Amino acid sequence: MSPIADLLPTGIRACGCLTPFGGAEATVAALLDGRRALQLRPVLGPDGGDCVPIALMDSKDMAETLPPRWLPALRTLAGAIPPGTWGSTRHPVVVTSSNFGVGSLYAYLGSRDAGHLRHGAPFACVELLQDEFGWGEQVHVFSHACVSAHIGLMHATRLLQAEIADSVLVFSFDFVSPFVAGGFHSLKILNSELPAPYAARATGSIGLGDGAAFAVLTCEPTPFRIEAQALHNEMHHFTGNRADGSGFAACAETIAAAAGGRRVWVKGHGTGTLEAGRLEAETYARVLPGAPLVSWKGSLGHTLGSCGLVELALTVESMRLGRAPGTIGSTAPCFTETVALTPFATAGYAGVVVASNAFGGAHAALLLSHA
Amino acid sequence: MLERHIPFTRVERPDPSEEAAGARARLAGKFPRNSLRRMTHLGLLTGAALDGVAVDADDAVVYATTYAETRTLEDFLASFPAASPLLFQSSIHPSAVQQVLIGRQQPIRRFWPVTGRRRLVESALLAALMEPAPRVVFTGGEERGRWLLQRDMASGQTFAFGIVLTKDPAGARGGIRFQPGGIAPDEPCPTLLAFAEAVERRDALRWRGAGGEWSLEWR
Repeated sequence: MSPIADLLPTGIRACGCLTPFGGAEATVAALLDGRRALQLRPVLGPDGGDCVPIALMDSKDMAETLPPRWLPALRTLAGAIPPGTWGSTRHPVVVTSSNFGVGSLYAYLGSRDAGHLRHGAPFACVELLQDEFGWGEQVHVFSHACVSAHIGLMHATRLLQAEIADSVLVFSFDFVSPFVAGGFHSLKILNSELPAPYAARATGSIGLGDGAAFAVLTCEPTPFRIEAQALHNEMHHFTGNRADGSGFAACAETIAAAAGGRRVWVKGHGTGTLEAGRLEAETYARVLPGAPLVSWKGSLGHTLGSCGLVELALTVESMRLGRAPGTIGSTAPCFTETVALTPFATAGYAGVVVASNAFGGAHAALLLSHA
Repeated sequence: MLERHIPFTRVERPDPSEEAAGARARLAGKFPRNSLRRMTHLGLLTGAALDGVAVDADDAVVYATTYAETRTLEDFLASFPAASPLLFQSSIHPSAVQQVLIGRQQPIRRFWPVTGRRRLVESALLAALMEPAPRVVFTGGEERGRWLLQRDMASGQTFAFGIVLTKDPAGARGGIRFQPGGIAPDEPCPTLLAFAEAVERRDALRWRGAGGEWSLEWR
């Protein structure tokens, strides 16, 4: 395969996110302090089960409510989106998620309250958001597990570059439910251990977290821009990667080529699983020698399909602040010496690689820089 | 104008009574044995729609579905409190295409799994037409639900289609075009099933949406 990234520079007019710590500014401050949002909670919420690391935006312990517990949070996030005719022909919306409102189906089976079904399917969930936020018909919806947000960003970029749109709102959200927590728990990677991304330890573990984010992309000059984007799909195994790391390399080498030898740091995927963490750390240490590698999922948990956009907003905020949080929850020894365990100054770095991975061996990365 | 030529189409519309087990028996010869037993009805039909279509690593794949693995989703929900790991991973969008390409051990660079309802076909076609890859494989489909169908949360029909879209007009049977421009309001976008039926019957489609005029035409 030819290692060519999508070299379509795109401006970020605005972006923001919500995590259990609050918005991007509050979240980066908490990460810089080394705080963890993850807490051990019953995997099936009100229905009990083993306690596993979950980070929630509210105190409802994953109880599915009517209206759904994610709606108030999304209203808060939507309040930060610049006004516009979103969903119109020239200003389309791209919505991404891996879960949408699927937790409502679990709630329906428990309660038999048909109200939960109104937002149980992706289309129903998105149509609820269209009504709620007054978006028009031009809403594109993508779902590709944990690289969903990256797919949405690349699609938005193409709409701009094809001059089909003047600006694009990318909106992503994933909230933890017994449905998804139970699923990851069944795979044994969501267990009673708190995640320690990239740490060389005996047992791997992940945490799950609520997350939502948006970005408004434009071709106009902006302080921060996405310079390049890369995707790769291994199609080797549903939940595993090629052992030789070739899947990680295909994406990382492409985005490293786009960086062109400039000094960058890497906001990695780093969920806390051992094999994928090792492959990711070793790959970036090889293709971007000396580039500090961080993961914030040891604090926030994995925000699933939205992680790419949530962590992009946090990366922008880190660059704005001039200080990047380290890999919270991890201690030496790590898989590579490039793993940054403590905060560091971003001055002197030309950009950041923001990377995510997903089931099916999907890899995504973008290169973020100051314009 | 964005345009692609269509050298290949196949639409799978099984007997309405067919279940996944029946499809597995009917289509057994098309899939590796170790993949077959885990494949969903939609995965099997997607694989059948793409049977004989060699997907190259530099091809892009666009996948459209509103409901995806409905049966697996129903079964996964039924597996609680002892959630099934196999059903969990198979229920995750975009499982159907992954079942097929993992069975083939075929990596691809760009994969666009599109969902939604009212303008799903338009979104998926835009993703396909904006792709720089010379060759795009466009596939999609649904599987008939059980209790979710009774609550209007699933497709009433099981089907899948596979279409190859190229920049090269040689050997084309038809084409899809998008001409941006004009200020007329959007018209209803064809449903995924209506699109699949048009491909199957080689019916032309025209509508307005996404700020331009769409046409599906056949030679």
